[in-house]
Amino acid sequence: MKQFYASHLEVKKYFSEDFETHPYEAGWADEAIFFIMVEEIKGESPVLEARVQISHDGIHWADEGTVSGPITAAGLHFVRVSHFGNWLRLACSVRGEDASFKLNIQIACKG
Amino acid sequence: MDDVDVLMLHSRFSPLKRILSYDVFDRGFCGWMTLMPNFTEGPDFDTPPSIVNKDQWPPVMLSSATYRFPGTHGSMSGTYSLKLSTRPVAAPYSCPPAPGSMGHAIKRMSFWLPERQYLQIEAWFAYTAEMDVVDGKGPQPGLHETSVRAFGAGFDVQERGNRYFTGIRYLNSVDGKLLRKWQYVSAAEVSDREWAFGTDGDWCRRGVDPWWFGRRYPDGRHDGYKDVPGGTQNLCYNETDDKINWQYMRMKIDTLNREYVEMQCQDKVFDMRGIPITYVDAYGRIDGLINPVFWVESDADRRVFLYVDSVVVSQE
Repeated sequence: MKQFYASHLEVKKYFSEDFETHPYEAGWADEAIFFIMVEEIKGESPVLEARVQISHDGIHWADEGTVSGPITAAGLHFVRVSHFGNWLRLACSVRGEDASFKLNIQIACKG
Repeated sequence: MDDVDVLMLHSRFSPLKRILSYDVFDRGFCGWMTLMPNFTEGPDFDTPPSIVNKDQWPPVMLSSATYRFPGTHGSMSGTYSLKLSTRPVAAPYSCPPAPGSMGHAIKRMSFWLPERQYLQIEAWFAYTAEMDVVDGKGPQPGLHETSVRAFGAGFDVQERGNRYFTGIRYLNSVDGKLLRKWQYVSAAEVSDREWAFGTDGDWCRRGVDPWWFGRRYPDGRHDGYKDVPGGTQNLCYNETDDKINWQYMRMKIDTLNREYVEMQCQDKVFDMRGIPITYVDAYGRIDGLINPVFWVESDADRRVFLYVDSVVVSQE
């Protein structure tokens, strides 16, 4: 059987500035989904966008090319990635006046 | 489990007569997960109020120990180990742990062996700090050994009407000063309020969750730990952050008499017979609980890591 494991990256946390998720080692997996659960949104015209990033060492990062598109509504969103080395993270931008997102972010890996 | 795993179990481990779990992390997480708070409050499964934020401990992961220059280090038994990490943040030693300054892994089991007395956890481990930036201009500014404050292993147990915490930690660095000594979990004679950093209403009682409760003092003392007799020991950090060495640790306790028995690290055994274990009244809904845990704590604004592979929990 394949292995599966889901890990929290952020729990019940408010974000009002750009941020990156904790460097995550997923070399054992063939595919990963970042689940972005938007629990609450505040501010004027708030927009969240998440870019998948990969790395060779967990320190230096490059955009992998997968982007969530603008997230403007509460609820469950996700981005998928299936070709990476060992390290994965999300780089998230927060736009809007006094914008704030309450997020749970989870990475689900399978391989 | 293949033949090599079985051979190694009885070669590089010293299990008691009955093995409860033998976790080789090339086989997956084996039930280990990040320790999280209790999401029991309204309106949306929120956590009880506490002076210590416990939902910022980063996720445990299966690590290949891959670094910038050498590439992949692998594990003791193959490619993957269980990795605990911190966020790049630390409070001064004498303050409550900053959110994210610790990493915790837990496996949740329970007693099954009648007439049992001893309980033991063994693991091979390695530790290092993130090779993020070179610090200052002193000697070896790219060596971050002092960023690792402490790491350890232990049990959260509830049996025969009491809950108790046991464990050993390697206190490596306190506010940048290397101490390199072993301490064992033991609560000082303080009130529940003092245990919770002088706050009222925290759910913890004295002796519970010493990983993050119990006041700390600038010289390395801690209301939740005492020094292991003769417990100063220089471990193998290696000469650079991207070289890790697999080392052995073991802790044996007596659940019948509620005492420590001994601990071992590398090839050095520390006699702990007769040292009492702090226990409190039972908590609800956790009778029979055996939760082995590992943890790591940062001493600087830098991620630090504890890798374990493999882990054996045994009883007799």
